[in-house]
Amino acid sequence: MATKNKPTGFGNPWLQLAISVACVTIYELLLKRGAAETAHLSPRWSWTGLPGLASIYVWVAIVFVILSLITWLYVLRYIPLSVAFPISQAVHVLVPLGSWLVLGENIVTLRWVGIALVSLGLALVAKPVAQLEERL
Amino acid sequence: MTRISLVIVLIALAGEVGGQLFLKRAMGASNAGGFRSRQFVLPICAGILLMTMKFFLNLGLLQHYDLSFIYPFQGLSVIMVILSAAFTLREKLTFQLVTGSLLISAGVVLISLT
Repeated sequence: MATKNKPTGFGNPWLQLAISVACVTIYELLLKRGAAETAHLSPRWSWTGLPGLASIYVWVAIVFVILSLITWLYVLRYIPLSVAFPISQAVHVLVPLGSWLVLGENIVTLRWVGIALVSLGLALVAKPVAQLEERL
Repeated sequence: MTRISLVIVLIALAGEVGGQLFLKRAMGASNAGGFRSRQFVLPICAGILLMTMKFFLNLGLLQHYDLSFIYPFQGLSVIMVILSAAFTLREKLTFQLVTGSLLISAGVVLISLT
């Protein structure tokens, strides 16, 4: 597996993966706030997303998405895409939780079940990787 | 959800999958040939272009739907990405990886249905 000879400390690709996930979560929450703020500006062009650029939240979101892209590219140098990508899907747990906590959106029971399933899948994908890391 | 918004969601999905494959190919090439080689520059540009397209399509969708409703549709990309990585990048898939990814996708679809 391509996790051999990986840097340690801040350069650890697994730490960078966690930072990338955190950046994507913050980016999505800011993007939603910015999109909501600018939804009324230009209904004709709203599907392109361009009117969203009038919001400061969207620009801060862009900073976070660039940070997440940089950390993600770093991750891809050391971890196979088929391992890193499923683990990065932790955002599907964190974004709905963030939408609930920060944006006040509602989460119904079925959505909680979905969040639990995603968490279970993440554990299943991450377990062999964690065992491999322990052996190295 | 209207037909046009469904088409936009699908185009954004394809952009995500294609973008990730190009980015991985670029970073793989950077290990061998550095950051100035043609094998790095072309796929990184293609990957960033596709991810940018996905970004603006998502922004447009978010102006019409809740974040917690739109975002999980991208979860379908998990299975698409790992299968594409196996076929195009020759990455090894394990039973546990596929099962975990299927669970993630199922969970994401369940979230989307609500």
